[in-house]
Amino acid sequence: MSAAPQIDLTNAETFPSRRTEAWKYSDMKRWLREAPEPSGTALVGAPGPFYDLGGEAIVFANGRPVGVTDFIASGVQTLRLRFISDAVGTGHTAAARIVARPGARLLLLETHEGKGSAYVAHNKVEIDVARDAEVTRIVLIEEPEDAISVTNAEVRLEAGGRYRQTVVTTGAKLQRIETQLSHGAEGADARLDGLYLLKGSRHTDLTTVVDHRAADGTTSQLTKGVVHDTARGVFQGKIIVERGADGTDARMAHNALIASERGEIDAKPELIIYADDVQCAHGNTVGTLDESALFYIQQRGIPADEARALLVQAFLFEVIDRIEDEAAKEVVRAWLTARL
Amino acid sequence: MAAVKETVEAVAALEKYEHGFTSDIETEYAPRGLNADIIRFISEKKGEPEWMLEWRLAAYERWLAMEEPTWAAVKYEPVDYQDLFYYAAPKQKEGPKSLDEVDPELLAVYAKLGIPLGEQAVLAGVEGAPRYAVDAVFDSVSVVTTFKAELAKVGVIFMPISEALREYPDLVRQYLGSVVPVSDNYFAALNSAVFSDGSFVYIPPGVKCPMELSTYFRINASQTGQFERTLIIADKGSYVSYLEGCTAPMRDENQLHAAVVEIVALDDAEVKYSTVQNWYPGDAEGKGGIYNFVTKRADCRGDRSKVSWTQVETGSAVTWKYPSCILKGEESSGEFYSIAITNGHQQADTGTKMIHLGKNSKSRIIAKAVSAGKSDSTYRGLVSVHPKATGVRNFTQCDSLLIGKECGSHTIPYIEARNGSAQLEHEATTTRLSEDQLFYAQQRGLSEEEAVALLVNGFVRDVMQKLPMEFAVEAQKLVAISLEGSVG
Repeated sequence: MSAAPQIDLTNAETFPSRRTEAWKYSDMKRWLREAPEPSGTALVGAPGPFYDLGGEAIVFANGRPVGVTDFIASGVQTLRLRFISDAVGTGHTAAARIVARPGARLLLLETHEGKGSAYVAHNKVEIDVARDAEVTRIVLIEEPEDAISVTNAEVRLEAGGRYRQTVVTTGAKLQRIETQLSHGAEGADARLDGLYLLKGSRHTDLTTVVDHRAADGTTSQLTKGVVHDTARGVFQGKIIVERGADGTDARMAHNALIASERGEIDAKPELIIYADDVQCAHGNTVGTLDESALFYIQQRGIPADEARALLVQAFLFEVIDRIEDEAAKEVVRAWLTARL
Repeated sequence: MAAVKETVEAVAALEKYEHGFTSDIETEYAPRGLNADIIRFISEKKGEPEWMLEWRLAAYERWLAMEEPTWAAVKYEPVDYQDLFYYAAPKQKEGPKSLDEVDPELLAVYAKLGIPLGEQAVLAGVEGAPRYAVDAVFDSVSVVTTFKAELAKVGVIFMPISEALREYPDLVRQYLGSVVPVSDNYFAALNSAVFSDGSFVYIPPGVKCPMELSTYFRINASQTGQFERTLIIADKGSYVSYLEGCTAPMRDENQLHAAVVEIVALDDAEVKYSTVQNWYPGDAEGKGGIYNFVTKRADCRGDRSKVSWTQVETGSAVTWKYPSCILKGEESSGEFYSIAITNGHQQADTGTKMIHLGKNSKSRIIAKAVSAGKSDSTYRGLVSVHPKATGVRNFTQCDSLLIGKECGSHTIPYIEARNGSAQLEHEATTTRLSEDQLFYAQQRGLSEEEAVALLVNGFVRDVMQKLPMEFAVEAQKLVAISLEGSVG
């Protein structure tokens, strides 16, 4: 089911190009012909956007773990997972592993905090959600405009497991956030949301692959994005319903706005279905800001730029409103508002 | 009681693939295999101008350098391109063809298929019945084209492409390969090298073609490939509706059908192209059947030009085709209406591409897929908006229906938007046949198979309505036949 070849930053031959169908819109080879030199050490610095929500922390600085790399959750817990990059022209890889024990409830607050320039970051996260456990993963990504980063999350859901994910990003030179999720046993429930706000010539690629291997699983996906200037937003969502995964209910939507003349959106939603007792749907729209709404707001005395920002905000906030944890929702809201 | 009788007949027709008979017609073949000499042989047989032979040989060179693509979601035994006959023609008298001179056995084949080749027969038909002109292509050659004289009166050229190459070489040369270039893809290159026959249509400026034009393709000879080439040119302000039908005998072997269809629509022209594809799908175990690897593309060159593709795909073991529109003209529009029904071991990977290059160009895609048995069906489509195309609109809807536990249905729509003023909408659903509706229909006395046919016909109704009347009736029956054995 893997949509990605195994990328190894020390071997340029493993970098996918657009000739690989799953990387059609994110040509890593084009921007990275040779393996980067390994990054040196970095300081952890500021406490990160989710500091006030407390909990445990896993921290990587230029790929080097500051303490543990694995976490096993039981009961109700909060974990901050921080990928800190502060490098110039070098590359680093980080890998974390997270397990939620049966019945556990984990709030996983992940941040990608990038400084420096032109670095290459490769992050891997493995998440196991045991029987009746729940994991809420919220990811905030802020990187320099000339950085390259690839993040791959592999999520496995056991029977009755619940998984909630919201990725919010402002892009980079080439950025891929990939989530591979499998419904390994009956009655699991997944929500995979995404939000991108891209300016300048930034790029992001939100790719998800959801594999329904067992019966009665549900998947709900909402991704929204806005591109300005010459930015490029990519959404690829694949839902597979395997033979025998009856009773699957999977829904996916991607809505994007191009807020400039030369912005670009590429979308590829896929339904691959081998079971007949299913309900599957996807919707995909690309449009521009509603001129009549813009006019209406300006009529009320609000300047054009502000009116635009208001409409963009209203459009994007729908994704954030789906976050169930109130405190985390507030942090994400404020984080995004500051970047509109 | 007419309805009852019709139902009884429809059910009787469910028995098997009714076009699966073979006809014992004396046939002339080219030697088996493919090389430059075979291409010279075909070109010579057709009495083609020198440039055409050069064109074919160049295509052959390109083809040799290409690799067979494997990206489609279909699996099939590799084709041995050296083990095919590239030219098979029924033997017949030389000289100009009129209906009287056509081998009566050939006419009998078309009569059996229900294709009216006698103009009189059509005229003497039911009062008010619409007439349509037919170009009948049998293996590698066109055997007869009807209503040519009547069409010529309004300036419409409708003839086999091999004949057009002799009579209107400049016109053919101007447009051939201008929509689907020789090296467009592996099968288009192969077709360019060895294409044998197909239809040529030219509608002069301002002319609304007075009747439906149609081509009826029949593969008869065994171990042959059919490589037809169709070229339709709608000049400024003209209109034509064109129908295409296909059948083949039941054979254990797989036969290759690699066609190319090119449509050119100039300013304000409109072309409506409808296909009912009913090639032999193979038997219940998946043995035999046609490989249908087709390139169909329309070039909406003119401003306000319009091309509409409607297809009902029920046949073939493997189908691989994407009728597309290049929307170059300002305010040009493209439409794609498709019904793809797969049963048994059939595989279909089909859809469309709408390439928006012109300002304010519009497109609409409605695709319905029904999968039953152990079949697999994929909708694959692309809507792309280029940077200079402002004001583009697209609406796409793909619905899939699954019947049974062993089939598959897939939807892969690509959207590539490079202009801020584009408005693109896509929606797709996949569901199974509703138990409640099936139960309800059976309560009213329909058998399970009839109930399925009724519900499926309802599911595909949006597209069915886009078909010309002559085809709609046939297509509706075809839906029922294709789903035979899919339940119970």
